[in-house]
Amino acid sequence: VKMCADLSRTQRNLLVCERSSFLDEKNRVSSQVEQLRFNYKVSVLLPECGSAPSHLESILNSFSSFYLIKKLPLYELLDKDFLQSAVYQACTVCVCVCVCSGHLVFSLDKDTFETLGLEGRPSRSNRTSSRYGISYGSDSGLLQALTSRLKLQMDFLISHHPAAWSTPPCGRVTPTTSWSGSAPWTPPSAGEPRYRSRALRGHDRESLFFCVYSENSSSDFLSTLTCLEPEATVSRAVSVSACGLLLPQDLQHLVEELRCHLQQAQTNSWASVTVHGFTDSPVSWDDDERDVLTGGHDLYNLLMFPDHTYRLHLAAGAQNTCPP
Amino acid sequence: MFCDLFLYRVSSLQKMRAGTEEAESSGYQRVVLKNASPHHYLKVRLVLEDESARVSAVDLKTFITSCLRSLFGEVGAALNVDVLKYDEETLTALLRVPSRGLVKLWSSLTLQGFYQNRACAFRVLQVSPFLLALTGNSRDLQLD
Repeated sequence: VKMCADLSRTQRNLLVCERSSFLDEKNRVSSQVEQLRFNYKVSVLLPECGSAPSHLESILNSFSSFYLIKKLPLYELLDKDFLQSAVYQACTVCVCVCVCSGHLVFSLDKDTFETLGLEGRPSRSNRTSSRYGISYGSDSGLLQALTSRLKLQMDFLISHHPAAWSTPPCGRVTPTTSWSGSAPWTPPSAGEPRYRSRALRGHDRESLFFCVYSENSSSDFLSTLTCLEPEATVSRAVSVSACGLLLPQDLQHLVEELRCHLQQAQTNSWASVTVHGFTDSPVSWDDDERDVLTGGHDLYNLLMFPDHTYRLHLAAGAQNTCPP
Repeated sequence: MFCDLFLYRVSSLQKMRAGTEEAESSGYQRVVLKNASPHHYLKVRLVLEDESARVSAVDLKTFITSCLRSLFGEVGAALNVDVLKYDEETLTALLRVPSRGLVKLWSSLTLQGFYQNRACAFRVLQVSPFLLALTGNSRDLQLD
């Protein structure tokens, strides 16, 4: 009798590895960057870099500001002027609703879904939550449902200023940047932090994991994380990250600038860019459904080398579709 | 807190150091790995009733092993759980566990209600097969 589930099974996960060159016309870096629309955090790591390149700071500071609208009734979002002036031209995201290419995408629990009484379809990932997409403008009865049956209110992040409409307070936010390594940030302990690259386990023949962390290795009792060969020690590194609602075009710009930096640096170094998507956004790669409740961590890492080659690793959560 | 911890997959560290030696990589290659991760990573926070109590990294590891033992016996206690990172101030830890032990570890932590006879709870903040995923969490975004 099979009473219990197999405890050793884990949820499905995907890792897509791409390698190519920026000079190759088939390279898909820019299209991949475009396809993850709702980005929360970008981290840049530059090894063997004594101080942060000055233009890197200015690029991060030039990231577009975004706006926070608190407790916005959802029906006001559907106001025609507001849609025209702000929403259609912007990236809008909140925990369970987002706007992509003219569609409102909801991720709702069963009760809210039934109260709204609109057409939708059950989520693939979680039978207790339902998700549906509605094109505003179609005769869906959405506006009526949101004004009469259920007055949903949410906090929204929006990338364009809603000029035509400003009833609730709308706060302008700039992405926050933080530095670590030997850049403007001062390490808490005396002396320059040393970073070690450690090769970890790989899955396929050629691939290796490696991680970079400061030298405060744990004892064997705490951790059995061991180093695989080959291993390299990096004497210094600069790490910077920015958080907020980050637009794909800003990230594209950052990637381009880092490529230029690698060309100019005249070293055999590399640069790494890691981008995290919003955990609770209802869409994943290319506006496909994502699993909101089961740890949908969408992220990608781009490793760039001075000879224009790159490695791109894209990760997707349990029920998410494969990155395109 | 975990900002100095990164994880990447690269083709080869040596090739990476040489940088330019890969002339053949101008072609386009794409590989999709499904369920290939040998480990899962958890970011957990221990919430104690007595907020002033100090828990060292060694205490935490011992406690996690006892949680596993109480639910799954010696087989559970033998599970190889690594504390990769631990912050004593916030009682937040980054754990690594072989993928086949994830459910056992997660359930042991969730069902544990007492630490040294005082009420406690483990909050599982993030779980991912990719360590890099734990370096960012949009739920931590503070905009006020």
